[in-house]
Amino acid sequence: MMVAWLLEDTLAELGCAVVGPAAGVKEALAMIDAKVIDVAVLDVNLNGEMSYPIADALVVRGVPFVFSTGYGKDRMPDGYQIFPVLQKPYHASELSDMLAKLLTPEKPPTALAIVS
Amino acid sequence: MLSKTNKSKEQKAAESDVEGFRKDLGPFVVAAETTRMPMLFTDARAPNQPLIFANDSFLTLVGYDREEVLGQRFDFLMVRPTDPHALAQVEAAFGGGSEGSFDIRCRRKDGPAFWAALFVSPIRDQAGDVVQYFASLVDLTEHKQEAERLRFLLDELNHRTQNMLANVQAITAQTLRGAADKQVVDAFEGRILALSKAHSLLGRKHWETVSLRDVIEQILRPFGLSDSRVARFSVEGDDVRLHPKAAMTLAMVFHELATNATNHGALSDRVTGKIAIAWQVQPTPQGDRMRLRWQESGGPPVTPPSRKGFGSRLIEGGLAQELHGEVRLDNDPAGVVCQIVMPVSRELGV
Repeated sequence: MMVAWLLEDTLAELGCAVVGPAAGVKEALAMIDAKVIDVAVLDVNLNGEMSYPIADALVVRGVPFVFSTGYGKDRMPDGYQIFPVLQKPYHASELSDMLAKLLTPEKPPTALAIVS
Repeated sequence: MLSKTNKSKEQKAAESDVEGFRKDLGPFVVAAETTRMPMLFTDARAPNQPLIFANDSFLTLVGYDREEVLGQRFDFLMVRPTDPHALAQVEAAFGGGSEGSFDIRCRRKDGPAFWAALFVSPIRDQAGDVVQYFASLVDLTEHKQEAERLRFLLDELNHRTQNMLANVQAITAQTLRGAADKQVVDAFEGRILALSKAHSLLGRKHWETVSLRDVIEQILRPFGLSDSRVARFSVEGDDVRLHPKAAMTLAMVFHELATNATNHGALSDRVTGKIAIAWQVQPTPQGDRMRLRWQESGGPPVTPPSRKGFGSRLIEGGLAQELHGEVRLDNDPAGVVCQIVMPVSRELGV
């Protein structure tokens, strides 16, 4: 809980309006449905519950996110290793660099037009 | 593919081999049949190297009846008989003239897979030709389960230690932010974080050895090591593997050097300041020694500090006392230079 406060404070100091924190999959999914979110920081392990369903929901909504984990990337299932990871523990500057990357895509957005 | 008549011919040949085998070896066959160690023999001269003997322990281990295994090739037991690496090991062991041992994953008739340590040894006739192979197996299921359990415990211990350090960091921030000098809070948080990063890296490598490059990467990333916009660091040297103690000490040393560079040295001038880190390993009569050089340039003129702070005590004391190394920290006006000489062991090299 204290660690969540620290993240909350750090995000606020970086100029974010913080939604949450959500401490479980169910709570997070409800929050994603209810609020407008620009970017998400996602612990892989939420007190024993894996956060992959939340990652899926964020992907569906096009919300960029970063996983944070104390384990290596190789402990994550194959399909999720493509997403960015903050290796825990991380410094506030690593978090801000990561958020900057997520919020300013390197390429212009690609548009898919499906017309008849 | 063998035709039906061929198969039965082969089966007959195998059976007569077994009979010959019993006659030749007499009481040893009884001993081999009743030991608790799973054992088998194959016929080295037959084209398919069929099993010609399997003891009761082996049959218990694999769950087949004797007539189901005799005449078969050993690889019928393998979980993945097409795995080229495992198959090559089996073929080398049952085809060569010397002993072989390796772990192999087998499957019981009723389904479950298990790991076994396989030992294969050729048996020669009087002319010195290999006529049979003798193989014994040790079921590694319990051993593997125990190893898995230890890994789980170590993961849990790492996880809890990380949590504890994260909590210390959070408590510090909550307690001191706004109440104490920001520089003091940052310095404290930075040191706890460096300790915690080194711990986490070692945990991911099961507390065996870690590479010097990984230590540098972890510790210097918050200082802009991987920042592609401004290249402030150059890192050069052959990979060196570090023991946990050396990794911990060097992590703290790099953190102190980088913090000092941020406050007074090359990183305080964000545009021109650079840090070059380079090292070599050289053999000496006392063993291999690593010479590492941290060289700052392009920062503001360096003025020697008026007193020795915790940082320089940590750098000098840590290296000398913990690692039997030597360290020289020069406040050269052109840029701080830190030279480290410490023993590293060759067998840890990759």
